[in-house]
Amino acid sequence: MSSENVLRPAAEQEYAAELAALAAQDDRPRPPRWRMSPRAVVRYVLGGTLPDGTVITPKYVGERRLVEVAVGTLVTDRALLLVGVPGTAKSWLSEHLAAAVSGDSTLVVQGTAGTSEESVRYGWNYARLIAEGPSEAALVPSPVLRGMRTGSVVRVEELTRMPAEVQDSFITVLSEKTLPVPELNTQVRAVPGFTVIATANDRDRGVNQMSSALARRFNTVVLPPPATEDAEVRIVVARAAQLGRALELPAEPPALEEVRRVVRIFRELRGGATSDGRTQLKRPSGSLSTAEAISVVAGGMALAGHFGDGTLGADKLASGLLGAVVKDRVSDTAAWHEYLETVVRERAGWRDLYRACQDLDTSGYAGSGA
Amino acid sequence: MAGPRALPERVTLLGIRHHGPGSARMVAAALEAVRPELVLVEGPPEADALLAHLPALTPPVAVLLHVEPRRGDSGPGTAGFWPFAEFSPEWQALAWAHRAGVPARFADLPAAVSLSGEDEPEEARAAADPLGELARAAGFDDPERWWEDVVERHASTGPRQLAQAVAEAMTAMREELPEAVDSRTLLREAAMRQAVRRACADVTGDIVVVCGAWHVPALRTLPPASADAALLRGRTRRAVSGTWVPWSHGRLTAGSGYGAGIASPGWYAHLWECAVAGDDAAATTARWFAGVCGVLRGEDLPASTASAVEAVRLADALAALRGRPSPGLSEVSEAALAVLCGGDEVPLRLVHQRLVVGERLGRVGDGVPRSPLAADLERAQRRLRLPPGAEARQVQLDLRTPLHRERSMLLRGLEVLGVPWGRPHERRSPGTFAETWELRWDPGFAVAVAAAARHGTTVAGAADRVLRGQATQARRVAQAAAVLARAVGCELPGAVLAARAALDRCAAAATDAVELLAAVPGLATTVRYGSVRGTDPELLRVALHGLLARGCVGLPLACRGVDDETAERVLVVLDGTHEAVRLAADAGHRDGWRRALLRLVDVRDAHGLPAGRATRLLWESGDLDTGAVAARLHRAVSADDGATAFVAGFLRGSASLLAADARLFGLVDAWLTGLSPERFDDALPLLRRAVAEFSPAERRLLGQRVGSGPAETGGADWDEALAGRITGHLRGLLGVGG
Repeated sequence: MSSENVLRPAAEQEYAAELAALAAQDDRPRPPRWRMSPRAVVRYVLGGTLPDGTVITPKYVGERRLVEVAVGTLVTDRALLLVGVPGTAKSWLSEHLAAAVSGDSTLVVQGTAGTSEESVRYGWNYARLIAEGPSEAALVPSPVLRGMRTGSVVRVEELTRMPAEVQDSFITVLSEKTLPVPELNTQVRAVPGFTVIATANDRDRGVNQMSSALARRFNTVVLPPPATEDAEVRIVVARAAQLGRALELPAEPPALEEVRRVVRIFRELRGGATSDGRTQLKRPSGSLSTAEAISVVAGGMALAGHFGDGTLGADKLASGLLGAVVKDRVSDTAAWHEYLETVVRERAGWRDLYRACQDLDTSGYAGSGA
Repeated sequence: MAGPRALPERVTLLGIRHHGPGSARMVAAALEAVRPELVLVEGPPEADALLAHLPALTPPVAVLLHVEPRRGDSGPGTAGFWPFAEFSPEWQALAWAHRAGVPARFADLPAAVSLSGEDEPEEARAAADPLGELARAAGFDDPERWWEDVVERHASTGPRQLAQAVAEAMTAMREELPEAVDSRTLLREAAMRQAVRRACADVTGDIVVVCGAWHVPALRTLPPASADAALLRGRTRRAVSGTWVPWSHGRLTAGSGYGAGIASPGWYAHLWECAVAGDDAAATTARWFAGVCGVLRGEDLPASTASAVEAVRLADALAALRGRPSPGLSEVSEAALAVLCGGDEVPLRLVHQRLVVGERLGRVGDGVPRSPLAADLERAQRRLRLPPGAEARQVQLDLRTPLHRERSMLLRGLEVLGVPWGRPHERRSPGTFAETWELRWDPGFAVAVAAAARHGTTVAGAADRVLRGQATQARRVAQAAAVLARAVGCELPGAVLAARAALDRCAAAATDAVELLAAVPGLATTVRYGSVRGTDPELLRVALHGLLARGCVGLPLACRGVDDETAERVLVVLDGTHEAVRLAADAGHRDGWRRALLRLVDVRDAHGLPAGRATRLLWESGDLDTGAVAARLHRAVSADDGATAFVAGFLRGSASLLAADARLFGLVDAWLTGLSPERFDDALPLLRRAVAEFSPAERRLLGQRVGSGPAETGGADWDEALAGRITGHLRGLLGVGG
């Protein structure tokens, strides 16, 4: 499978060159079955320049401390839990950590309300089970089981969306590092290198609280929203440009000024106050995460590329902004209008954005959440 | 005149990091190796006399020096403190000298000069913690770990060579940062050199000088003595006295206003204790996490031993990842956050407060001289079983028991002296004999106690003098009343009399009735609880009556021609005084107050707000009948201006009363329904504005009341027998007799 003909290649494919360069120039000791030393993993995530001049692009923009604690956790073969509000790059970070440590970020259990115990433990090939009875060959291993056998990092997405009893089947795996298979009267023992990176979000409704027995088995790292406007602008610019390349959008990379406007609107509404702290704002119900800012910018680029002159302008951003902010028809519309009238209208140089947003009829918008 | 010459060989300079356990280890080892005849330690020479008390001290303690106040000087005395923790190199040097029977002296600018000077300039960062700066430059955020892992581990030679290396590093650093050496530093270093010269003249053997690393380069060569002497000459000097005071880890932090403060005294103490016990790096980390688990368990948070093991492993992994030989404070904190606190900052803050800073309190033994006031305070603390503690705790006092009453007196006396050890709790419920205090002893109070020593030799005596002084200086009624309340609280008869006299004096001079009456509610409380405080209530009642009488005379006048803002104030005073009169005044003065209100409602050009309120108060007490009130309401609506204010004053704050009291409701109802349509139109905006001040819930209540039909007159279903039974029960409950 080459990276050209898929919509979104896995991290280890997209950054294969960087991973290879890092592994080649890494002279520090590696833990068992790791592709590179812990320090090289940190460098892969945070970016830098190697001695031979290879540039490693930053994957995560944020505190170094957090990445170090995350990698340190994996070194001690403890399970890692990444917690944060939606859009704080939890899954993104977990994918890149798995790619750098094991060279494989595809052992994933996706947590949903319908996730069953088979996807955490093992299932059966029923045709074989009936024909031959319980046997090793009739067993269908889960990603967890495969990771235990190969000594790789297993990712669990949205752990708290799984039903509580399914979550609890991780307890033995994490504390004993074994998975009993009573049907075959045997058990699978994990080889060194196996560990779990789980992500959970602490904002969404409808999550199943983790039992404290399971929580004890994780080291927890809380990923905060980007600390400064500049950091967030950097993230949005980099990711939007990357998305634009992947989707082969005929648009130019986004202008910094437009991105800064989007980021400022998101930060102000998220924080409930203008960036100068002078005006109190109503907070919309949505999470207004960095990830959503990225999709607003990318959506604007798509509009500009296919239906405009290729440059991202206020008119292309307006509908995306509206769709991102207004999740609840009544209360969010009020918050958005108030923001438009009190902040956007007064701000020097934002006249075009104000007019573009005015032109959209909120009652008939076709954005997300409609 | 000779040129500069090198320091004699027999003088060893030990450059240290203030409150650095690594430096403390170096000093202890160097002293053992050199075994000098004299030890010089950076500090004010006036404290030399205090060194004899070393065995009676348990660190953290501080030398407290304060400038003796000049005669007639009433301002707060200037004071300075020089703290020492167990892990301070200075403390280790002093302790070694004491153990070895070797004399020790302080060497620095005399406190007489430094305390007389103007505001101290902020020390440059490099000068304040030069070794910390070096550690930061080397990529370590915990300077003590840097010292242990890099400096000590690689310095395989003895402590003297280590000191030599520090001196060379500092020389290079001072050359790099000449701007960090200010005139004050130069002055201090001249004084240090003078002390070294004197030491060289006094003893013939080895001398060890323990001083901040930053000063070492300046002490390595001795310029001609006359130059230093000239620099130090002509400085203002004032008499200084001082003692040892207990200190705390919290007061060692920079956040507490201590310039050379450190961020993590608890962590340093831990490093020092582990080093003394001979623990290696692994045991040091493990012991730390055992402590963290203890703190968390103490708060009923889950922290198992298994988690502690995982935390140690993560801290080690983080240190390895960062290329550090062993975990420092940032590694153990991050590991505690990820493993033991589940990523939650709140429990981590607890750990920070209890362990990283720590609330250890030092002790000063009995033999150490202290001011008579401090000694009296300590005696009182023992007698009343109120030991000072650095952590806040609450005490409940029942003023009817002598012990609790004395405790309350002590706390109030200290409050007067500017030592807010106890803070009275907000919920001091009136009408009971109970008080709730929150006690928290801040070692910095020692400074205030030392400054207050000039007022007297006992807490009561000093408080008495301070209160008498405040009484003579009081210019306004409110000030005098406040002094009186405090004097009653401290149970100081002399001060009570002085404050009473001051109150009379201020009341006589006061021209504003509102100012007079504003002091009445506070005074009424004092009157009611004066008896339990051992003050003659009659004395206070007379004062209250004096204020009331004067206030009543001026009240109607004070409501004429005032603006809305003043009227609001009058309204508050009116309510407060009415309540106070009801509670504490005798019949004669209650009558006087009633007459004052009656006069007020008859003043035609009085502001509507107080006039309206006075009307309602009088109606409630039965002094105005319903007809008279209705007439006044009608008159108010017909007036052009001030009508809103009258209705607002009448109705404000009475929503519940209006809804519940059939008479009041009936009165307003009758007035409203009796208005002609034109008059009703006139009154409508007024009413709306008056009612707009009610809360939504109150308005809803009123709406329901109005919707439920016309007012009940109550006459028809009045059951005299039933009412009699209820009043009988109430009398029994209240104990007022049948």
